[in-house]
Amino acid sequence: MDELKKKRLFDSAASPLIAILAALAVGAIVMLLTGTNPLYAYKEMFTKSFFKPYYLAETLVRSAPIMLSGVAAATVWRAGYINLGMQGQMCVGGLVAAVMAIYLPVHSLWGTALCILGGMAAATLIALIPTYLDYKFNASLIITTLMLNYAINHITNYFVAYPMRDTAGDGMAQQSVQIEQSLRFFRFSNKNAMNTSVFIAILVVILMYFVFTKTKFGYESKITGLNKNFANYGGIKSMKTMFQTMALSGALSGFAACIEIFGVRYRYVNSMFSSTGYAWTGLMAMLIAGYNPLLTLVYSIFLAGLNIGGTALQRTVGVPMQIADIIQCCITLFISVNFLYEFNKKRSGKCRKKVGKRWETGGVA
Amino acid sequence: MLVEMKQITKTYGPLVANNKLDLSLNKGEILAVVGENGAGKSTLMKILYGLETCDSGEILIDGKPVRFRSPHDAIANGIGMVQQHFMLFPTFTAAENIVYGHEPKKELIFFDRKDAASQVQALCKQYGMYIQPDIKVADCPVGLQQRIEILKVLYQGVNIIIFDEPSAVLTPQEVSELLKTLKELKNAGKSIILITHKLSEVMEVADRIMVMRLGQLIKTMKKEDTNIEELSFLMVGHKLETREIQKIEQGDAVLQVEHLTLSGTGTKNILDDISIHVRHGEIVGIAGVSGNGQSELIQCLTGIKKFDSGKVIINNTDVSNRSVQENRDSGCACVPEDRYFWGTASDATLLENSIMAHYHKKHMMRYGVLNRKNIKKFTNDMLAEFDVRYTSDKQAGKELSGGNVQKLIVAREISQHSPFLVAAEPTRGIDIGAIDFIHGKLLDKRNSGDGILLVSSELSEIFALSDRIYVMYEGRIAGEFSRAEATRDKVGLIMMGGKLNG
Repeated sequence: MDELKKKRLFDSAASPLIAILAALAVGAIVMLLTGTNPLYAYKEMFTKSFFKPYYLAETLVRSAPIMLSGVAAATVWRAGYINLGMQGQMCVGGLVAAVMAIYLPVHSLWGTALCILGGMAAATLIALIPTYLDYKFNASLIITTLMLNYAINHITNYFVAYPMRDTAGDGMAQQSVQIEQSLRFFRFSNKNAMNTSVFIAILVVILMYFVFTKTKFGYESKITGLNKNFANYGGIKSMKTMFQTMALSGALSGFAACIEIFGVRYRYVNSMFSSTGYAWTGLMAMLIAGYNPLLTLVYSIFLAGLNIGGTALQRTVGVPMQIADIIQCCITLFISVNFLYEFNKKRSGKCRKKVGKRWETGGVA
Repeated sequence: MLVEMKQITKTYGPLVANNKLDLSLNKGEILAVVGENGAGKSTLMKILYGLETCDSGEILIDGKPVRFRSPHDAIANGIGMVQQHFMLFPTFTAAENIVYGHEPKKELIFFDRKDAASQVQALCKQYGMYIQPDIKVADCPVGLQQRIEILKVLYQGVNIIIFDEPSAVLTPQEVSELLKTLKELKNAGKSIILITHKLSEVMEVADRIMVMRLGQLIKTMKKEDTNIEELSFLMVGHKLETREIQKIEQGDAVLQVEHLTLSGTGTKNILDDISIHVRHGEIVGIAGVSGNGQSELIQCLTGIKKFDSGKVIINNTDVSNRSVQENRDSGCACVPEDRYFWGTASDATLLENSIMAHYHKKHMMRYGVLNRKNIKKFTNDMLAEFDVRYTSDKQAGKELSGGNVQKLIVAREISQHSPFLVAAEPTRGIDIGAIDFIHGKLLDKRNSGDGILLVSSELSEIFALSDRIYVMYEGRIAGEFSRAEATRDKVGLIMMGGKLNG
């Protein structure tokens, strides 16, 4: 049914659009209060994020780790489990890949590939720790993945603060030495940060769309997320799905980190994945996108643009870059109102199921 | 005339759910609205209760035209509805649930629990329906939950109560309680609209009967002027054949269960030393009041639940305590007892719901990638063969009516062409047309030489189909009858825990 499709498309696009517009309105009010012309500021902000080549390149480069960690989160969330540990998985993946790149005798393309695979494997293993705890001891995946982020961030920081610290120069920065030239992703010009990793990230996201919609794994995990009992009845093991999705999620997070390291920073820097908040922005993008990888890609670029534009705003208009944060937070807030509503609807349905009753609001319509 | 609905029309895209319907309700009467699934009964009631708005037509209450934008408006005009799926908070007490939304207050802000309990008690007394105000809803059996739901509606002070399929989820005893309640409400001056498939209930309580089919009003008549045969003819639109069960040769056992035991949390076993068998070309019924271990038995047979001891052999393969997949591989398919809890994912599309346990097959999947074209063909062919009414295979499962969801599940499981099928409550809460259709499919399967274990709390269904009948009581097989020796009285007695003499 074409009409049906149109209506669905409209429904899925309407609420994020409304949220974005409302958030921009809130941002405008804040700017008016501080005496800035919001129209001018927004023009600046969007020009200097999407409409000038240099800034567009920055935006796209920034969006790559965001979209990957977003898709990483979506992999698990759509199967009905909640992974909040993308940040920690990125830290481990990034650190291991950086260590391999710095200390192993690897060079050029195959070297990069090997380091990235190593980073992804490490991130996968880290993601499987909370999964195992959930499986074995029924420890809540939400809590363990979230808490591990903090522990892992400090542990990885230790390495760049002490054993791996780059003592050249003033030696003040807590960071590793740079990885060698041949291992880095190709940059198209030295005027901006645009490099091949962005395209690889986009390809991976598109591949994940294919995995979600066209494969056995995608089908099984989706059904598990929608109704575990139905999955179980049909022969899908929900625990196996949890392990599979968590492993894939870890691998994607690790890949996201490698993109940042081999494409932009070329080294591991203290708190590089916690202070930038890629994982959380990605999580937000995937929630707005309703777990759809292609939409996650779109929203990731948008949110990355807000970030880049916000920084530019601070430099040229003198509006603090926190205005971008305000807008971003408001989008999250407005979206999550809707999201929470949906979530509660589902959850209350589940509670009622426990006493043997189902609860529906609509029915046919 | 208390309520009048005139020329109500409602369309969903190309589907005309209600086509110029008229309904009238007098004070103090019970109006039954009967029709098959998808006849548009629920839509009509949703319009009356403010959950949907109609495209055209008008609603009059006491002769005054009204427009409802939400159930709030309907309740303010004295119309309440007891939903099929209860809207209760399981962790709250009965009284808390009943007064929810209109709580009595202490000092204007605090919830006055004592007053709530006493108000509820007064309400119970007034209508002769008894509940403990402080019992937790989670601890109540379904019948009691429904009573709480009814009291909740009464507490809102309505005069007109709509009951949407109230007996679909109840045990026979609970149904007779419910019918008593309906009569008492009528005597107390309430007007009632009763939506149901079950014609025997209609004939017992209704004053007038309105028959709908495919969105049209077929006829409204007094109960005295009609009978069950006429009603079912009007509902379905053609005569239902009474089925003859064909005699066929029965082969070896396809299901063999030996001494299956499942322990519970207490000292009593949930399943206690169950030994049953089903042969090729045989439908074996398991009769029993629901809650006597049938659900657990099905789960043990299909591999969902692990049991403590005993053996399950399906099609000569020992599948005791094996996984669901191994169970299915050995030749077992299952129509689960609850179509929404086990049988489908309401938010998944019809395609996704239809290929469950089929998608491993070669023509649907290769190297882990699903073959969309073949899946589409399989689904559409299957749904057409089983007469499932749908508009698009990308529709969500929840957009189908209950009967159509059930047909989809039966279609999916019969399409496995497995030598053994567990059919649990295959026709619960669906209309006679669909029941007849599903029964026909089950018999066809039997006649082709497959074995079926039919678990049903509906005795008429057991008697209509079974070659042999086991009766379950408190986790045991309390009796076994061949088709010839089984009578409703004997089976009914054992279902209730009685013993046959001699």
